Amino acid sequence: MSITEILFWFLSALALVGALMVVLSRNPVHSVLWLVATFFAISGHYILMNAQFLAIVNIIVYAGAIMVLFLFVIMLMNLNSEAEPRKSWMMQLAGVLAGGCFMMVLVSLVRQTAELGGKTALVKEGNIGLIKQLGMKLFSEYTVPFEISSVLFLSAMVGAVVIGKKD
Amino acid sequence: MPIQYYIFLALALFSIGIIGVLTRRNAIIVFMCIELMLNSVNLLLVAFSKMHHAEALTAVADTTIGIDAQLFVFFIMVVAAAEVAVGLAIIVMMFRNTHSVDVHFLNRLKN
Amino acid sequence: MNAIIVSAVFGVLMMFASFLVNNKNVYRYLAIIGLSVLLLANILETYAIWSIKFDSFLQLSFERFGLFFNSIAIAATLFYVLLSGKDIVRVGNYSAEYFVLIFFILCGVSLITSYNSLLMLFLGIEIISIPLYILTGSDKKNLKSNEAALKYFLMGAFSTGLMLMGIALSYGAVGNFGLEGRGVVAFGGSMRVSFLEVAGLLLLFISMSFKASAAPFHFWTPDVYEGAPSVFTSFMATIVKATVFIGMIKLLEARTGIFGPTWQIILPLMIVLTLAIGNITAVFQQSVKRMLAYSSIAQAGFMLFALWSANDMGREGILLYSVAYTLATVGIFAVLVKMKDYTFDGFNGLAAKQPLVAASVAVFVLSLAGIPLTAGFFAKYFMLASAIKSGAGVWLLVVAVVFAAVSVYYYFRLIQAMYFKEGEAEMFEQPTNSFKGMLAIFAVLLIVLGIAPSLLFNYLYF
Repeated sequence: MSITEILFWFLSALALVGALMVVLSRNPVHSVLWLVATFFAISGHYILMNAQFLAIVNIIVYAGAIMVLFLFVIMLMNLNSEAEPRKSWMMQLAGVLAGGCFMMVLVSLVRQTAELGGKTALVKEGNIGLIKQLGMKLFSEYTVPFEISSVLFLSAMVGAVVIGKKD
Repeated sequence: MPIQYYIFLALALFSIGIIGVLTRRNAIIVFMCIELMLNSVNLLLVAFSKMHHAEALTAVADTTIGIDAQLFVFFIMVVAAAEVAVGLAIIVMMFRNTHSVDVHFLNRLKN
Repeated sequence: MNAIIVSAVFGVLMMFASFLVNNKNVYRYLAIIGLSVLLLANILETYAIWSIKFDSFLQLSFERFGLFFNSIAIAATLFYVLLSGKDIVRVGNYSAEYFVLIFFILCGVSLITSYNSLLMLFLGIEIISIPLYILTGSDKKNLKSNEAALKYFLMGAFSTGLMLMGIALSYGAVGNFGLEGRGVVAFGGSMRVSFLEVAGLLLLFISMSFKASAAPFHFWTPDVYEGAPSVFTSFMATIVKATVFIGMIKLLEARTGIFGPTWQIILPLMIVLTLAIGNITAVFQQSVKRMLAYSSIAQAGFMLFALWSANDMGREGILLYSVAYTLATVGIFAVLVKMKDYTFDGFNGLAAKQPLVAASVAVFVLSLAGIPLTAGFFAKYFMLASAIKSGAGVWLLVVAVVFAAVSVYYYFRLIQAMYFKEGEAEMFEQPTNSFKGMLAIFAVLLIVLGIAPSLLFNYLYF
């Protein structure tokens, strides 16, 4: 087993355990922390695939900004008690079955897809994930969507003020 | 790494996210599970990007095929950040009025 | 690209107006001016007279159909602001911001009518959705509005997740985000489509059905439409919903045939389910607002026919349908906002007190039910005729007509309440003359289109 494979399996296991613990933890703060762990594992995968820019942005934006915002809201509401009421076990079972069926269908679909056979994701190599390449592309071909996403941000800003401000 | 491993990993994370959305009652946890779903999609897109890139590399030495998926991931992060800002504002507003973030409250609308 | 840029610019201008100007009426007039300029800019682009051009590297493509739908959406929004502008201003403390959000939604609308890559589709859907979550929750003191916003937000974010998974799977199979996809290609000697692409498109289709509230993905609709402030319900149930259908039509046309023969089972099943759930549940409602929410599901069932037929007549039909449905629903909601009691009984005796308002509402209701001589009749006719052209089974048409007949029941309850029942139909305020005039214009438009629907299509081709 090469070091890449060991890393791959370790990061995958960490991501899966983290994701499971997000759902299973009773305490919201623990959920947030496990989600941060999952994001770090996913960032590790990005680094493994040499997508360095996305790895850093993932940590800064997701683990840094977004999850801190979550933590902040949870602390603000004083939700760190473990008093969340549970759904009835029937509902929980239905939810697990639905999610499991979704996964089974897609997994068997991927296994049936002949054209994926023998294809690999390039690890450790390839330079498309570097800042230079991404920047050149983003500010040439992707200028229009980039500018349009500013409209999205403006509307989110307006919305956060409209909804969040006390009146 | 075979692409199937990445697809299975992403699908597993995505399904865990779905299960969380369906089984939890705390609106914030539900929202976090949705974030988990978005992240699994990001992972899948990056893996596919590297797959198409590897394929193109065998034909041309200097190619940027596959880069569009990584830019898409960038846009997904942008949208997710905007959504979080609005979503948490809505949850806080709800909490101010009801002192609860239980999604079960929503059933009151039906009556 | 005029519509995208001008609407974003006016959104920003309204933001400046919100802190430079303190008069609520000024916001309304500014919005009306902005919408008129936007409409003009879009028409200029439609006839290739003047347009702002940026190279989008094939991610956007502007063609007559999408541009014409832009004009319809912008004009409908203009009428909507003219009719209910005063009620928009009154929802909360952030009057100018509501118009900002409406302008941004129009930016998203013009993205969805012109996207040529899935990235643009995704951005367009999000630009529409995020302002809508906010508008739904804009009545901040009202618990129902809060809950509707939270519910809509969680459902919307969840369906965004599904949509992204769909796009990712489709990318895995195709290798780019183009609208065309790959279609049928050779795999080891036999011609077939890629499973990954089919699964991706199916997820994409499901998430868009969420946004368009087609059954079985409709369950959030009644609660959200009821909880949201009525003025904004009328906006999201009409213009936004029609836009999502345009997006679906573009997607399915570009990747036609990908679902293969199963599509002949899935889509009719969805149509029948949507019609059945919408119409049958609407019969039992006591609140007019909730009845309209269910009827909007039922109308979505008819719009699904355009996806089924996927021919020129279906495209014409969906345009006529969106005009007829939007005008009628916006009109009814404008009256509903002014009523004190949202139940059917609240409308008792309206005809005696406000004959012109009641007559207009009657025309709207008749159009929604699809009675001849109104635009709604031809809208439904075009939908069914286009489906026949594409070889739909007769049973599907029979089902559609039966449910259209069911819808007559609950629509006529409203007419019955207004004309044949005694009562005090109380309103918050007496409608002004200009309000009555606008309502009458709506009604006349519906009747004119009901007599000569080709008036609308002429603009599509000339």
